[in-house]
Amino acid sequence: MKCKTFFLSLMISSILFITGCWSQKELNDLAIVSAFAIDKNESEKNKGRYEVTLQVINPGNVAGSLQGGGGQTPPISTYTSTANTILIASRELSKKVSRKRYYAHTNLVVISEKLAREEGITRVLDAIERSPEFRTTAQIVIAHNAKAADIVKILTPIDKISSNDVIKTIKFTEDIWGEVVKVNLQDVIRALVTPGKEPVITGFRILGSKDKGSKLENIQDTKPSGNIDANGIAIFKEGKLIGWFHNKTSRGVSWILNKIKTTAVAVDWEEEKEAIVYNVIRQKTKVKADMEKGSPVISIHTEVEGDIGEVNTSIKLSDRDTLFKIEKSFEKEIKEEIKQAVKQAKKNQSDIFGFGEKVYRANPTEWKNLEQDWNEVHFPKAKIRVSVEAFVRRTGLTKESYISDLENK
Amino acid sequence: MEKAKISITQLFVLILLFEQGDSMLLPLAMEVKQDSWISILLSTIGGVLLFLVYYRLYRYFPNVLPTDYFQKIVGKVLGKGLAFLYILYFVYFSARLLRSFGEILGIFVYPFTPLIFINIFMVIVVVYTVRKGIEVLSRTAELLFIVLLFLSVTGLILVSSSGLINIHNLTPVLENGISPILKNVFTETLYIPFGELIVFTMIFPYLNSSKKVKSIGVVSVILSGMNLAFGAALNIGVLGTHLASRYQFPLLTTMQSIQILQFLERLDVYFLIALIIGCFFKIALFFYAAVIGISDLFKIREPSQVSYPLGFVVLFLSIQMASSYSEQLQEELKILPLAIQLPFQVIIPILLLIIAFFKNKKNH
Repeated sequence: MKCKTFFLSLMISSILFITGCWSQKELNDLAIVSAFAIDKNESEKNKGRYEVTLQVINPGNVAGSLQGGGGQTPPISTYTSTANTILIASRELSKKVSRKRYYAHTNLVVISEKLAREEGITRVLDAIERSPEFRTTAQIVIAHNAKAADIVKILTPIDKISSNDVIKTIKFTEDIWGEVVKVNLQDVIRALVTPGKEPVITGFRILGSKDKGSKLENIQDTKPSGNIDANGIAIFKEGKLIGWFHNKTSRGVSWILNKIKTTAVAVDWEEEKEAIVYNVIRQKTKVKADMEKGSPVISIHTEVEGDIGEVNTSIKLSDRDTLFKIEKSFEKEIKEEIKQAVKQAKKNQSDIFGFGEKVYRANPTEWKNLEQDWNEVHFPKAKIRVSVEAFVRRTGLTKESYISDLENK
Repeated sequence: MEKAKISITQLFVLILLFEQGDSMLLPLAMEVKQDSWISILLSTIGGVLLFLVYYRLYRYFPNVLPTDYFQKIVGKVLGKGLAFLYILYFVYFSARLLRSFGEILGIFVYPFTPLIFINIFMVIVVVYTVRKGIEVLSRTAELLFIVLLFLSVTGLILVSSSGLINIHNLTPVLENGISPILKNVFTETLYIPFGELIVFTMIFPYLNSSKKVKSIGVVSVILSGMNLAFGAALNIGVLGTHLASRYQFPLLTTMQSIQILQFLERLDVYFLIALIIGCFFKIALFFYAAVIGISDLFKIREPSQVSYPLGFVVLFLSIQMASSYSEQLQEELKILPLAIQLPFQVIIPILLLIIAFFKNKKNH
């Protein structure tokens, strides 16, 4: 009986301890960090290599603005600090932020182009990966032609917290257009350490005025005077940014990396420029590596399925043979985009597609000879075969366009 | 020996939980990179053979504990010495596991809590269960096994449906031939976790029937080997060899990578529950073996009397044994397998079996 009372009291007292009071964090003592921006310090006076800017959520204002009231103060605030290492800089920020910084909800890391170009991204990621609080699923973007701090300072109208704006922009652009790649911390580190593969990261730039963009008036305007948009894919080599891919070239990257879900492709028809638009519904791209006579051969095969989305010319869409012809021209156009991306990457001597990795997986013994100067010699010389199969399954709600009737009059 | 009986199902469940233990959570056989699953499967064969050695020993002396039959095999003095060494071995490894458990929790969820407090709470639970005896431990195992099974199945569904698995990460298979894998088997995976089955020699005498022990035991060892191999392959499939071999807990990172439909994410709790259940049984079984061994060797009538003092020993040993987690891991994976695990798990049992075989032959 005595023993039982003893155990009962022991168990009850341990309940007190296991509630987690040890390192308790009250919600109103936390500053929830939504984005983490890293810049290279440029001023002479403030010594230190990195400038870390935190975007902190002002909880009351986010909720307030949803209900239509509030809006008197911005939904986010930013704080900057400078130091030689990332962790010191972010710790030092406690002098400026009244609450304990909490990184578990940080889902965006912005790195400035200057830092990525001059020093590379290899050194700044370790602290983030090592921390148990920070998630490795946080997405990374590069501030194109801008300071990373300015990107996280912009106030965005629809999604009040601009890190969410960036993430959703990437997500939906990837879903319906291409030209951007959704990469998180893990993907970047994996690409950095895997031989025969280099990372690619989406760039974001500031449109309009960065000073006006960070003011509250920015989101009270129907046309924000400062805004951000996804702009190109940053190409890396040995951890350093070496170039940008834009428009069709960057969509070529999306094709090869099999990142396209749906998109639209315009092709010329007879005399008319960009006369037919192909609505891609689904696609699958496979990359295969073989060795032929001691040199690597990469075959890229894309299978695309879709509809006709727009027609600007007189064309008989109900005719099967015409559709076959249209399919051929779609194939040609997509092939062109892919080839353009490959050509650019070869020119930059950076294997962003992971072709080297494919060679390694298929032929590990031969890869040992190629690995040393894959990017500089073997990748630019590698033979790359591109084949595209496009299928037009439907033509939308109409058959022939009314334009045919107008022209036949 | 306490008066208790466990069923064959309970043995099956105990072996599965024990084998999964911390091995599922730590990077196992990562030295051989994408071939780690082959290494684990090969060592499963070794594990089955070792299990049969332990089983044979049990069949020669079905009703007594190893601490007893050591004396019958090699004589009273030597046998007692050997039994004492084994008890030290069990104490040491329950402390080592307790340390691992505390360190994993400390690294991952409780960075600001001193190690000793995490360990104290685990020790309290372990001592309490072991005091209640092997029957209670086995019944707990049956209950928690269902929880773990549920977690594994749903976890697997979540990982595979989030589209993270890239099967190509497992190629090229056998990049450097078979020899590094064999080396890895004989320096690491054979001992952790398969050789650790030696602890079940202390459990066998409690079985209520000696029928089917062999087949059920072998099946459970093979199943747990396949489970571990599958886990290793899954981690590499999701993370790739470079990340999987660099992370402290690949399974944790795998679970954290899951992002489905914007809301099914941050499933760290899966890892946590598996950690607590697995480590609890591994620590408890080692600890139980030590307690029952001591009471048998020193003729203490109530085994439960030993558990409290031994709980303190294990607790302080776990704090003292290493100054950092890196030291702990280095000892566990690099030094101990050949220095302690090999003689205690392989050499001594096989020698004992040979002696027992010849003695048995002479008697007939």
